[in-house]
Amino acid sequence: MAWGGGWSGGGAMFGSSQVAGLPFGGIPSELMDEATKLLAHEPDHPPSDLTFTQRPSERERQRLTLARLIGAYPKWVVSGSVLVIVTSLILQAGPLLTEYAINHGMVAGHRSLGVVAACGIGYLVLALASALLQRVQVDVTGMLASRVMHDLRIRVFTHFQRLSLDFFTDEKAGVLMSRMTSDIENLQQLIQDGISQFAAQGLTMIVITAVLFWLNATLAAWTVLLVVPLLFVISIWFHRASEKGYLLSRDRIANVLADLSESLYGIRVVTANNRQRRNIRNHRHVVGAYRDANLYTGRVNSIYGPATIMIGILGQGLLLGIGGDMVLKGHLSLGALVAFFLYLNRFFGPIQLLVQQYNALQQGRSSIIRLRELLEVPPTVDEVEGATELATIEGRISFEDVSFGYDDEHLVLRHINLEIASGESVAFVGPTGAGKSTMAKLANRFYDPTSGRVLLDGVDIRTVTLRSLRSQLGVVPQEAFLFAGSIRSNLSFGRPHITGAEIEEAIDVVGLRDLVDRLPQGIDTVVHERGQTLSAGERQLLALARAFLARPRVLILDEATSSLDLQSETTIERALDRLLEGRSAILIAHRLTTAQRADRIVVIDRGGVVEMGTPGELLAAGGAYAAMFDAWLASGGRDSTRPDDEQTD
Amino acid sequence: MTSKYPGPRVRISRDRNLAWWRRILPVMASHRATFLLAIGLSFLSLVFQTLVPNMLNGAIDHDLVRHSTALHSDVVRILIVGLLAGVSGIVSRQYVFRTAYNVEADLRSLIYEHLTWLSFGFYDRVQSGQLISRANSDIRSVQMYSTFAPLILVQCCIGVLAFGFMLSISPLLACIAMTVMPILYFVGIRMRRVMFPISWITQARLADVATIVDENVNGVRVVKSFAQEEAEVNRLADAAERVAWAYVKDAQIRGKWSPWVQNLPQLGLALVLFFGGWMVIDGHLGIGAILAFNAYLLMLQAPFMMLGQLVMMGQRARASAERIFEILDETPEIMERPGAYDLADVRGSIDFDHVRFSYSDDAEILHDFDAHIEPGESVAIVGRTGSGKSTVARLVTRFYDVDDGVIRIDGHDVRDVTLPSLRDHVGVVLDEPFLFSISIHDNIAYGRPDASPEQVEAAARAANAHEFIERLPEGYGTVVGERGYTLSGGQRQRIAIARTLLVNPPILILDDATSSVDVHVEAGIYEALNRLLAQRTTIVIAHRISTIALASRVLLLDEGRVVASGTHEQLLASTPLYAEVLAQSTKPEED
Repeated sequence: MAWGGGWSGGGAMFGSSQVAGLPFGGIPSELMDEATKLLAHEPDHPPSDLTFTQRPSERERQRLTLARLIGAYPKWVVSGSVLVIVTSLILQAGPLLTEYAINHGMVAGHRSLGVVAACGIGYLVLALASALLQRVQVDVTGMLASRVMHDLRIRVFTHFQRLSLDFFTDEKAGVLMSRMTSDIENLQQLIQDGISQFAAQGLTMIVITAVLFWLNATLAAWTVLLVVPLLFVISIWFHRASEKGYLLSRDRIANVLADLSESLYGIRVVTANNRQRRNIRNHRHVVGAYRDANLYTGRVNSIYGPATIMIGILGQGLLLGIGGDMVLKGHLSLGALVAFFLYLNRFFGPIQLLVQQYNALQQGRSSIIRLRELLEVPPTVDEVEGATELATIEGRISFEDVSFGYDDEHLVLRHINLEIASGESVAFVGPTGAGKSTMAKLANRFYDPTSGRVLLDGVDIRTVTLRSLRSQLGVVPQEAFLFAGSIRSNLSFGRPHITGAEIEEAIDVVGLRDLVDRLPQGIDTVVHERGQTLSAGERQLLALARAFLARPRVLILDEATSSLDLQSETTIERALDRLLEGRSAILIAHRLTTAQRADRIVVIDRGGVVEMGTPGELLAAGGAYAAMFDAWLASGGRDSTRPDDEQTD
Repeated sequence: MTSKYPGPRVRISRDRNLAWWRRILPVMASHRATFLLAIGLSFLSLVFQTLVPNMLNGAIDHDLVRHSTALHSDVVRILIVGLLAGVSGIVSRQYVFRTAYNVEADLRSLIYEHLTWLSFGFYDRVQSGQLISRANSDIRSVQMYSTFAPLILVQCCIGVLAFGFMLSISPLLACIAMTVMPILYFVGIRMRRVMFPISWITQARLADVATIVDENVNGVRVVKSFAQEEAEVNRLADAAERVAWAYVKDAQIRGKWSPWVQNLPQLGLALVLFFGGWMVIDGHLGIGAILAFNAYLLMLQAPFMMLGQLVMMGQRARASAERIFEILDETPEIMERPGAYDLADVRGSIDFDHVRFSYSDDAEILHDFDAHIEPGESVAIVGRTGSGKSTVARLVTRFYDVDDGVIRIDGHDVRDVTLPSLRDHVGVVLDEPFLFSISIHDNIAYGRPDASPEQVEAAARAANAHEFIERLPEGYGTVVGERGYTLSGGQRQRIAIARTLLVNPPILILDDATSSVDVHVEAGIYEALNRLLAQRTTIVIAHRISTIALASRVLLLDEGRVVASGTHEQLLASTPLYAEVLAQSTKPEED
């Protein structure tokens, strides 16, 4: 067997467009033929053409309920329900036919082959009919489930896009992931099988009870009285206990996965620190706790199942005692007693299936609740009602008495007033935690000021649409994030329909030509999630090129040069001239080389502007910046005394 | 309810030619006591259950039709059998679940342990998200199958028993009733063949959706900065559309086959009614037999329906197992040689002897890299981006192995010594400062979990991290990433440095470890390091001249080999390329 086939190839065809060619993208080769045959019949799905608006539509604002979700497809819901009802009824005709055949065709005095034959053939026909109907029903519910889940996936994901940056902390990443995967897949199962099963089995029980009472009310009353209260009690116990166990094991599997995921993402540190054995021991504890939670659930389940079977057999015994007595006394026909036994058998199956499905329902319900809670989280940075499009800006940025804190207690910025002229480049310098990056995050509305206003060309940025605002601001963050995909697709991220010539130009401008020429597939080389194909510096250069290609009116470099090596930094410095041409820019820099290039330097410390002026002015003034610059020179050795630094003196 | 989990006792079979379930068998076998008990007791419980219809048959014919025996004694017997069936069922399932969840825990531990030892080359290739998803759902489906399949087989044994009872009542009717079962079997086989590929396709496409979500969440800043929400939504919608198609196809295929699996037993019942009725009329059969046959066929229906379910579970489990094996069959590229010995009393000389290296298929990064570093010497490696500087750091600790040539520490080939001893003696601060979501204290003490708070603090001070840590709401107890206490890149780097300093290795490699740190903070760190580095061999890979100045010697790297070596001044004077590399930073073009 060729397990190895899974390591390469076949990815693109099975939908892994962006991970094509990567490991784990393939299908075991022995299945290839059958799968290819299936996929040959797959129609071309037209590319989606959805529009995204920051403000949700009326429909998207509705509370998420299962009823609303499936209600969007009334035709399928109705036909699915009808099919479920009809098949459940048909399936329960068997014992009645048997009763009729016994009483009117088999017992002494009523022997008739015709009646027996008619009943047998009738039974046969009904079984065939129910098979056909079930087939249609599976199709319909499958269609319903996949459409509903398709809608829900898009709806939840769209909501992610609306949420503000503060929501996307590291700890929430896993949560968001499981909402989009396991919760939605739970619901898929629920709609496809769960609900219809639940309805079918519930209906079966009702039908059977009715038929039993119709056959013989006294015996039916006995049966129901003996069996139902007991089942009821044990079911309630089971529901409570299994819910408790379910929650427990859900929490603990989350711990297992969190531990695993951290170990994988931090594998390099784990290895470098020889922590493997210790981590393995620790993982065993976490896995052990998860196993114990499962064992609890297992105990609950192992009592419930056999206990119901036991109740069933005891019920049959008592039915034999009571019903047999009634037959002996002539109060009940033998056929009816047989029918009672047959129905009693069929009574327990559905109850067990109902219980089986109960877990699925339970999970589906809590998935719905979790998704609803998520969908009801409002973005902290939102568009106002009737936000306008920000026209193409000159690039004048004003901070008007801006204060900001990530929480209510600690203000990071206090009463900042700053005006950046269009075309001007301003460097923010200052110690870590002074609030430099925060200023940048306020400018493109990753956050809103606690008080004060940020204006672009005199327009309060809270009054315009986020898209029109952000598409005019280009941000290069400190840690370059690249999407799995080719260099080309990463570069064209901001403008998907960009031409090849523009990409080539950008590569030259930021100095990536060497890299691209070195890579085997050049610009179409796939960059991996955390792969080592690219160095931190190279990733940063790509991020710069990406920002360059988006043609922003204002460029914000948030410590974008910090992880560059000497040479890349030089390349960037050179490229900055091109990048900044005709644009306003905010340069946040630890490295004063970058700062020295700016038209103006703003020194920020403890949330306030300490100093402001051209590099020359500040050095001459001998204030905070001059002191920082001296420290920079001292630590950098004499070689950092740069010719152009001296010129500015 | 908590019992200690000892960890897996065995591994899966290494023989790749075995069928997937046989490779897992050793894990199952290590729980054979509970497993056999489970199987044995559930067999017993099912035997009791099969007795009941036959008892009812006898009771109806003898007590009710022929009045030959007393009703109440039959009732009592049925009640007793019912109780026995219930009790043995409850106990057997306890053991079933115990086996199941122990197997699952074993598989989880095995995969985790295996992943832990895999080499960096593996992690460069694969996406962690996919590994996690495997470790989650794939283990689940394998465990479900490997535990419940034997139980369903037990149920099938009961089928044989039930068939035996049917034969004893009426061989002819038994054969007629059973005619549907072979059809059921073939339908099951056919279903297996068509269901497998589609379930595989569905899972692959679900993984695609997960990848998109993962990237979107992690790259949220980029998405928002470029206002590309709409493109992202459409990217997801396309992937979701492909999932939807796969699900519809899945339902269609299932719809084509599973109703037959479910309704064939009904056909059997119809046949029993027709032929059984005929035989009753002819006087060959009692009415009770109709009831018993009904009950037995229903009893058979369960295993056969489960057989269908088993088929589906088997498909999933096999696909899952294959993906799990892909991980478990991955051998660590970096392994200790047999007879590897502990590296001890390291003085700290490092030799790079004609080293060649490339990452997997990529172009060669180091060509004939040759260098010698004296004990206690501090060396800066300088070069352009892509010249292979960071690679050098990763080779010394054997994160990767050289393609050709040798790296020696104190004359010992790094491939001859044990990995833990090597990595204990060579401390690396990586360029990407990864921190765990544990307290800052635990992060710093990561390599020395027993370190005292004083030692941790001393390391933090040396890395110039103590002050900002003290300012955090919970100081050293602050949990990284929790409640939005995010640290800046520079702060993370300083913690990463403290983490390595605490281990106190005789050889220290700083791979661009202070790139995000403020200049004056960096100066402080190096002042402290200067003291610490005095007795230590140090390799500094850096971009800043301030950092380079720390080293007593500079190696200039170009195109994967050392082109010059000497003090900073010597190189400036002697090597135009060095001057050029530095000059590019010292002389940005004039305004």
